[in-house]
Amino acid sequence: MRIPIPEGGMSLFDWQPELFATFNMFYGVLWSEGVLDQPTKEVGRIRNARVVDCGI
Amino acid sequence: MTWLAETAPGASSLDQVYGLTPGVYEQFRELERGVWASPALDPTMLEVARLRIAKLVGCRPELERRSPEAVAAGLTEEKIASLAQWPSSPLYNARERLILAFTESYVIDAHSVTDELCERLNEQFSPAELSALTIAIAVFDAMARFRTALDA
Repeated sequence: MRIPIPEGGMSLFDWQPELFATFNMFYGVLWSEGVLDQPTKEVGRIRNARVVDCGI
Repeated sequence: MTWLAETAPGASSLDQVYGLTPGVYEQFRELERGVWASPALDPTMLEVARLRIAKLVGCRPELERRSPEAVAAGLTEEKIASLAQWPSSPLYNARERLILAFTESYVIDAHSVTDELCERLNEQFSPAELSALTIAIAVFDAMARFRTALDA
């Protein structure tokens, strides 16, 4: 781990809880709204993860 | 001018394109506002990172605009003009150079962020600052690529 997780936190995002909450709102709307169906969005997400080589 | 067949009403090309998904657009703008309102980082540092990303991605509209928070904080056009020379320019200090090195690695290849760079970042910045910085870079990168891909 290159940056420590704050005490009582679960991820690096917990260093910026307000910003992370705003990000989660954005991500939630991204998945719950719009004209694309969920499988299409998931294919895009997984393809992006593979291109970036993000194992998480 | 975007190549999309339809656009939404809006004052700018970005509004007309991103406005096609109004709920997502509004939340993204809220995220942007959160990045700039965060007290963790100086607006000047955020702006040089944003402009460097715009240059690397080749996003002209993002290169041309200036964030009011950074202008108010004293960022000059002279400094912006020397952004490509940040490793040697005397206009950039050690902290800004670290931010720009991290920004370039993030945009070009996130796996190129070395342990040595992380060590130097941890010497100069708190974990809270680095967390805020990384979220900011992610937001700037997303916007630059969105606008470039859709000519928005």
